Amino acid sequence: MTTDQVAVPSEHDVVKAGHDAPATGMGVSNTKLAMWLFLSSDCLFFGAFISAYLFYRGRPQPGPHPADVYNIPFTSVTSFILLMSSLTMVLALAAIMRGDYRRLRVWLLATALFGATFIGGQVFEFTEFYRQGFTLSKNLSGSTFFVLTGLHGAHVTAGIIWLLSLWGLATQGRLTSRDSERVEIAGLYWHFVDVVWIVIFTVVYLIPK
Amino acid sequence: MADESAPAGTATETDPVEAPADEQPGTALAPTEGTAPALVEPQVPMLPGEVQPHPTPVKYVMIAAILVAVTAAEIGLYYLQGDVPDGLIIVFLLTFAVIKFGLVASWYMHLKTDRPIFRRFFVLGVVAAISLYLIVLTMLHVFSP
Amino acid sequence: MTTVSDTVRAPARRLRVLRRPQATTGFWSWFTTIDHKKIGIMYGTTALAFFVIGGVEALLLRLQLAGPNGTLLTAAQYNELFTMHGTTMIFLMGMPLAVAFGNYLIPLQIGARDVAFPRLNAFGYWGFLMGGLFIYSSFFIGGSAPNGGWFGYTPLTSTPLGRGFLPGHGADFWAVGIVMLGIASTTSAINFIVTVLQLRAPGMTLMRMPVFTWMMLVTAFLTLFAMPIITAALIMVYFDRNIGTNFFQPAAGADPLLYQNLFWLFGHPEVYILILPGMGIVSEILPVFSRKPLFGYPVVVFSGIAIGFIGWGVWAHHMFATGLGPVAISAFALSTMIIAVPTGVKIFNWLATVWRGAVRLKTAMLFALGFIAMFTLGGLSGVLHSVVPADTQQTDTYFVVAHFHYVLFGGLVFGLFGGFYYWFPKLYGRFLDERLGKFNFWTMLLGFNLTFFPMHFVGLLGMPRRTYRYDTGLGWDFLNQLETIGAFVIALSVLAFIVNVMVSRRHGQVSGDDPWDARTLEWTTPSPPPMYNFAEIPQVEARDDFWHHKYTEDETGHAVRLPSGAAVAVEERPAGGDGGGEHGGEEHGDGHGIHMPSPSYFPFIVALGLPILGYAAVFQAVWLVPIGALVVLFGMYAWGIEPQTEP
Repeated sequence: MTTDQVAVPSEHDVVKAGHDAPATGMGVSNTKLAMWLFLSSDCLFFGAFISAYLFYRGRPQPGPHPADVYNIPFTSVTSFILLMSSLTMVLALAAIMRGDYRRLRVWLLATALFGATFIGGQVFEFTEFYRQGFTLSKNLSGSTFFVLTGLHGAHVTAGIIWLLSLWGLATQGRLTSRDSERVEIAGLYWHFVDVVWIVIFTVVYLIPK
Repeated sequence: MADESAPAGTATETDPVEAPADEQPGTALAPTEGTAPALVEPQVPMLPGEVQPHPTPVKYVMIAAILVAVTAAEIGLYYLQGDVPDGLIIVFLLTFAVIKFGLVASWYMHLKTDRPIFRRFFVLGVVAAISLYLIVLTMLHVFSP
Repeated sequence: MTTVSDTVRAPARRLRVLRRPQATTGFWSWFTTIDHKKIGIMYGTTALAFFVIGGVEALLLRLQLAGPNGTLLTAAQYNELFTMHGTTMIFLMGMPLAVAFGNYLIPLQIGARDVAFPRLNAFGYWGFLMGGLFIYSSFFIGGSAPNGGWFGYTPLTSTPLGRGFLPGHGADFWAVGIVMLGIASTTSAINFIVTVLQLRAPGMTLMRMPVFTWMMLVTAFLTLFAMPIITAALIMVYFDRNIGTNFFQPAAGADPLLYQNLFWLFGHPEVYILILPGMGIVSEILPVFSRKPLFGYPVVVFSGIAIGFIGWGVWAHHMFATGLGPVAISAFALSTMIIAVPTGVKIFNWLATVWRGAVRLKTAMLFALGFIAMFTLGGLSGVLHSVVPADTQQTDTYFVVAHFHYVLFGGLVFGLFGGFYYWFPKLYGRFLDERLGKFNFWTMLLGFNLTFFPMHFVGLLGMPRRTYRYDTGLGWDFLNQLETIGAFVIALSVLAFIVNVMVSRRHGQVSGDDPWDARTLEWTTPSPPPMYNFAEIPQVEARDDFWHHKYTEDETGHAVRLPSGAAVAVEERPAGGDGGGEHGGEEHGDGHGIHMPSPSYFPFIVALGLPILGYAAVFQAVWLVPIGALVVLFGMYAWGIEPQTEP
């Protein structure tokens, strides 16, 4: 077990003391709790940038405006790919829990590849936007759009590196079902990043005005 | 070592296993070993701390199918922009986003089958972010004409 | 499809990059320690050093303002000094000192052996140190220390270098440095939350925890949710300055209120992050030195939670003069008035604790009582601010400076000093000298009031903040003189404290394990505690469990000492240093073989990568990025593959 819960009073301590004092811990994994706390914190981080985007979107500013350059079909495809990467991620988790290490490696790699495809798609998309004159420094929306999606992309990239590291460990046989939680926690991060994109795609790309 | 001997690739769903609270793994009393000592032999392996067996791969694929369908509906709605009043579109799009968010959080992130504490903290973060920023945006007159 | 066969073999050799450090004593052990007590001491020492530096900055400010038309400092220097004074006191003194106490005490108070993530804990400290050094290096390179105020309003700070009114890279150091510190703070917050929720001893329910631990828990949640907001705001500032974004560029139609909203969304919870630990310390000291339990424990706890919660709803009271409109300012005026209620509740509970107690006026108690008095004054001026028309006159004057120094210095700092005097015997097995301590207290009380009380008047007479000099004939001269004298009295007081610490560490009167006849679990351990804290994890049966093991009540309600055989965990073994031994704390003779987490290089290494990336960001030195990234990634990988505890 990777998350050695040091300092958790052992049964030995309790029995020796001869008391019946109730256990008081929440009884969950420390690392998982830590990841969830971090994710709730990250909500406030992304919220700030989404708010900045929404704030500046309606303001008078020189073009091009986001709506002028968006390629919804294209972004729908990349969004779909990211969404499917959540599926492959959770299948990877199911695989390691069953001890199916071949599928673990397959699904981990698939998730990383889908993520990389998403990033690739964004790179292409942004290059297109720049070509059309919608840039980071062009106007208010350019700044808020590129920073928001860029930071999201940075989160995805960090996730890809994390997944590839897990995949690397798995190929060396260093990831067994006892390490399921490590995959689960990477998965929580990955799903969160996907969920943030669900919000961004809706609020930034789709919602009119 | 229980994990290695569990049947692999079980695709059937079992009834939720209700393990009494004081036998939850990872409590202050029991050194965590990484496996869940459940009362009943689980047909789907559980992660430490889960109160119900978590979803099977089949379930995951079904969720994925719903996600795809909702996304398709969203795109469709986008293209109906001229014909449908904007307010309605916004309501539907936000609803769809919430549905997708909820599905991924509940099923892929296991909030539905895990201990409630995770759900509570995450909801706290989401609610805090939405409330605070909505107030900020209101103060910045984003919602007023 | 079972594929167990191909990968179940245990890896023949563990992946290892560096040999695991083992020493738990000696100079180098401090770089690799993951012991919460040592980390707490490091936090405290570093924070105190920054306190002195921030104090020197204040003295320079006061010298400049001692008389009209001062010539000691140029306007540019003055801007750097008041920015750095504020930044230092808030981010490099206030928050880290609270974390220092939290680090040392939380595991001891909840009956645990360490925090949930010991290496992450060490990283938090190193990140803090690196962040502080990084920001201060700006005095020497980059043309200027931060000079846009500790709050860094845009567009002053967000204008790219050379195109605005702030010379030098100060604003870049500030933005990047605070983001760096924020990372460290956030990891520390997560650590504390998981520790408190998961590692409490059997029987230690949440409502039996010491109030200090409770306040640190609330503070950790505030930190967790506030830091990402300022991180976002500062990223926007940094990007505006360096990569050409328009978040706050007036020419592009940007709105400075976006920044102010984001900043104060962080900034207001930040002040509760600062004060709640101080309130927690006071809640510990008063019962012990009144020999009475804390009056209304549940109410005190819930008030702390209420303050933490409501504190999110008041931020725009820092923006009353920005034209928010009547609805917004009314709402925030109301919420600001409301938050005075749980605060007042705590004060009354403290008073009721002391009332009719067998009060011992030791130095720790004096500081705690001083906290109550001074914080109340600061709270009163705060409530005055909540009245919008009044605030419109007070804002940006010294009246505000008076207010926040009363709550942060008269409040937090007094509380922290009380904590020093109270817990010093636990850390070092010796008392801080009481006579020097009383001198420390009275000079600090005198100096503090002499410095800041006149600011109420001078502020109402119109003296503006952040202005490097003032003309004569405005009625401000004499009061400013008083304030400057007061500042030097404070300096004398702090000097006395430093002397006290240095002398008492070696020659202070030996204290024993429970010198104050206290109530909470940390006093059941030797002074100082062994590395593993408790030989046996305590069984907790009540709030103030230790007290109930020492005393019972007779029919009249008086405390009656129990025979010492009934006392729990009176450690017979000698008060040792780190519990000895090469291998994490296996104490000879206790037979338990308590396994403690092993020291590690990697928290320090990962932290080392942060300023490298920081300099890359400030100077746009792209070549530094791969180096910094490599250091961070290497450290993180190696950390990820080493087990927490070596078998």
